[in-house]
Amino acid sequence: MIRHQYRALVCATALLVPCLSYISPGFLALMGIGPSWVVLWLLPWALEEGSFSGVLAGVSFGLILDSISLGDVTQIPALVILGFWWGRLGRIGIPIEKVFSLGLLGWLGSVLIGLCFWLQLFFFKRPVSVDLFNSWSLHTIFAQSIMTALLTPIVSSRLLLFFRSRSNSV
Amino acid sequence: MAGGQQFAIFRWRFLRRLRPWILLIGGLVIIRSTKGALFSDAYAVLTRPFWPGASQREWLQSGDQLAKQIRLNLLEEDNNRLRKMLELQASSKYGVFSVPVISRQSKGWWQQLELGKGSFQGIKAGSAVLGPGGLLGIVQSVTPTTSKVRLLTAPGSQVGVWITRTKHHGILLGIGTNRPQLTFFDKAPQVVKGDVVSISPASTLLPPNLPVGVIQSVNNNALPAPIATVQLLAPPEAVDWVQVQNFDD
Repeated sequence: MIRHQYRALVCATALLVPCLSYISPGFLALMGIGPSWVVLWLLPWALEEGSFSGVLAGVSFGLILDSISLGDVTQIPALVILGFWWGRLGRIGIPIEKVFSLGLLGWLGSVLIGLCFWLQLFFFKRPVSVDLFNSWSLHTIFAQSIMTALLTPIVSSRLLLFFRSRSNSV
Repeated sequence: MAGGQQFAIFRWRFLRRLRPWILLIGGLVIIRSTKGALFSDAYAVLTRPFWPGASQREWLQSGDQLAKQIRLNLLEEDNNRLRKMLELQASSKYGVFSVPVISRQSKGWWQQLELGKGSFQGIKAGSAVLGPGGLLGIVQSVTPTTSKVRLLTAPGSQVGVWITRTKHHGILLGIGTNRPQLTFFDKAPQVVKGDVVSISPASTLLPPNLPVGVIQSVNNNALPAPIATVQLLAPPEAVDWVQVQNFDD
């Protein structure tokens, strides 16, 4: 019973990611750019569940988020890399729980996703519009990573505690 | 001596009798020289209560608007007929929908709008999306009840436009920033800041002559052709309702 409840709650929190990406609340935006919601969920999930679950979650979220955006670019590669890396980090060494560590990982994850977009835009859209070093990409990466880093200690730490409670109770 | 006194009395009486006439003629001369300003003002003050009311003015204005609307319809029909003869894209008023914006991402990696109507309501991929003032973007994909709009500012967005004043054509490219970039085809487009940019009449994707924006700055030294920055007329971050315009196939 507890297991079913846990799964339902995991699904509910995961569903919040595309929902919040759709809603993109203005009060959680820096100069019009919101956080990377998927990072806030994927980080605690991969830290707790390991590389395999992290990669699967990364692919799943990548597919969902690509489907709700018009982009000709995909975030699956970046999410797969992050899911694997954070899964490894959770399995080896000391458990990552500190607020600063989570914030730093969230920031790095958001920057990696941004760089992935930047490179894809450069290689696929360069002939028509986007230069390699354009201020818009830099601005988007920094604004999004700062917002993600600020929210990670608040949101991801709570999710990490929630995911950890399952391994203690089940 | 007595004769001289009598003459003086006569002259004084003559002038006294003539005084009203002198005053009258003097007054008329003043009125003439001021082009009747005093008369006009006095007339305006006295007749103000009897002036035509606001309702009559509105009636005249609505009549004027109706006449303009009829003339616009006739010109549009004429224009569409000629465009069909030239096998160009025709604009039509019949496929216009007012649609709510249900999700908005005007900045960041994706610059798109999600609209609350889709193919069930007759919206098609490729339709023009208009905000207050001008074109916002193009419907990229539709579901039965929603549509996704790629904004003109989004990277990868390309629209054929022209400068209304000089009739020089170019491509409006979204580069992610609030102001898309206009790349001209000509080396000397003679464009200046403030020129109006609209959809090219030669466009095969969008209805012609939809207003898009205003030239904000021009770089005449760019190679291979000058480029300009365009300030869009319709700000995507502020619209809650848009108009979607289908056009005739």
